[in-house]
Amino acid sequence: MTKLLIIIIFILSGTLLQSQELYIVTEPASNMATGSFGVRLTNRLMKMEPDGKYDYRLEPEMMFGISKHLMVHANLYASNMFQKQFRFEGAGLYAKYRFLSIDDVHSHFRMAAFGKITVINNPNAISHTEIHDMGGGVIHEEEHRYYSNEIELDGNNSGFNTGIVATQLFHKLAVSGSASYTNRWKNSSRPKESGLTNRAVNYSFSAGYLLLPREYKNYDQTNLNLYVEFLGAAGLDRKGYFIDAVPAIQFIFNSISRLDLAYRTQISGNTLRFNKSSWLLRFEYNFLNVFGKNK
Amino acid sequence: MKKIFFYSLFLLCAVSATAQFKKAELQASGLTCSMCSNAINKALKTLPFIETVKTDLNKNQFDISFKNGAEVDFDAMRRKVENAGFSVASLWVYTAFSNQKIKNEESVAFGGVKLRFINVKEQMLNGEHKIKVVDKNFVLAKELKKYTLSKAVAGANQQRVYHVTI
Repeated sequence: MTKLLIIIIFILSGTLLQSQELYIVTEPASNMATGSFGVRLTNRLMKMEPDGKYDYRLEPEMMFGISKHLMVHANLYASNMFQKQFRFEGAGLYAKYRFLSIDDVHSHFRMAAFGKITVINNPNAISHTEIHDMGGGVIHEEEHRYYSNEIELDGNNSGFNTGIVATQLFHKLAVSGSASYTNRWKNSSRPKESGLTNRAVNYSFSAGYLLLPREYKNYDQTNLNLYVEFLGAAGLDRKGYFIDAVPAIQFIFNSISRLDLAYRTQISGNTLRFNKSSWLLRFEYNFLNVFGKNK
Repeated sequence: MKKIFFYSLFLLCAVSATAQFKKAELQASGLTCSMCSNAINKALKTLPFIETVKTDLNKNQFDISFKNGAEVDFDAMRRKVENAGFSVASLWVYTAFSNQKIKNEESVAFGGVKLRFINVKEQMLNGEHKIKVVDKNFVLAKELKKYTLSKAVAGANQQRVYHVTI
């Protein structure tokens, strides 16, 4: 794993023209512009472990650039992951405070502290009924309950996550790393489930670069960015870990909106999870100078 | 008496109209992407004294022209860049002097502010000149060390004093 990372960093640093840090599944230490407002619509297709079928989650998101130091996201979640019907699951609030910024002409080093709280009303387990034809007209129905030891704050679980992120933009390469602590709360109106991981550490490594345009001419040019991100988690109260890799492609339109397509898959792990791979399609639009002093 | 008053008022207006910053070149630091640059571009355009902003996306340079007769505020420009999430790497502003003598560590009034020249030889300035603002947060941190900035003394009418060089 470490070897793979080193090789990727080496390749990226050797060949990149310019880098980007508008990461897909993590946030950089940089903030959005003060007084700006952004909307996101994230679609996830998750390959479910119990039955191998794809379930769908929709995440509308609003983003606010409160000041040059502080930004806030508000998320809603809805899916058909725990039942056949598509239903509203809960909400999340994310805040990031940039506390260090060292800028040079085409580079910077930034650090930020972040926190996220989610309140979700999903069941603790996924029920899956297996139908066995015993022959002679005898049908045997077997109900399985699938649990997950992954604390997933993007729709599955109530809880909080807090940590530090550092982002370094070199002339040709931007890398970002984060470390955080996650705590699972009991899902609202559901009984507390014993025997599951309630505390975990999370970490991430992200890199990205601008593939097109080779040279900027104006703000209307469509940018094409490529990313690779790694997300890791390890249980603190129960042993278990996983590492996911997320290759992604991103289009920036008119320097104001973006379209992300990513595939997330587990490359290593021994943790019970509802899903180990998923697709993501996201659209984002930003409105600059819409509130506060920057109006 | 009234006439003289109007004449002098007219003369004052004419003088202050000519002694105005016409344009500037601002380079921003800490970014490479066009989305970031656009945030600075749009933020600068919200300033009432800015007429146009043209961007060189590869250099992150913003060529700014100011409105006629408007009072230009460099600190407000710097704040716009910082609020967009970035920093000012350099700010060059255009002045137009007629027979203006400048000396090292001496101030000259121009465009509603005081310009305190540093690292310059004694000379006469005539016509258009490009000067660089070298105050803290207008240059890169490593470049700031090159300049010895005095504790700027504001003028009698509390004019902002900017340290500049040629």
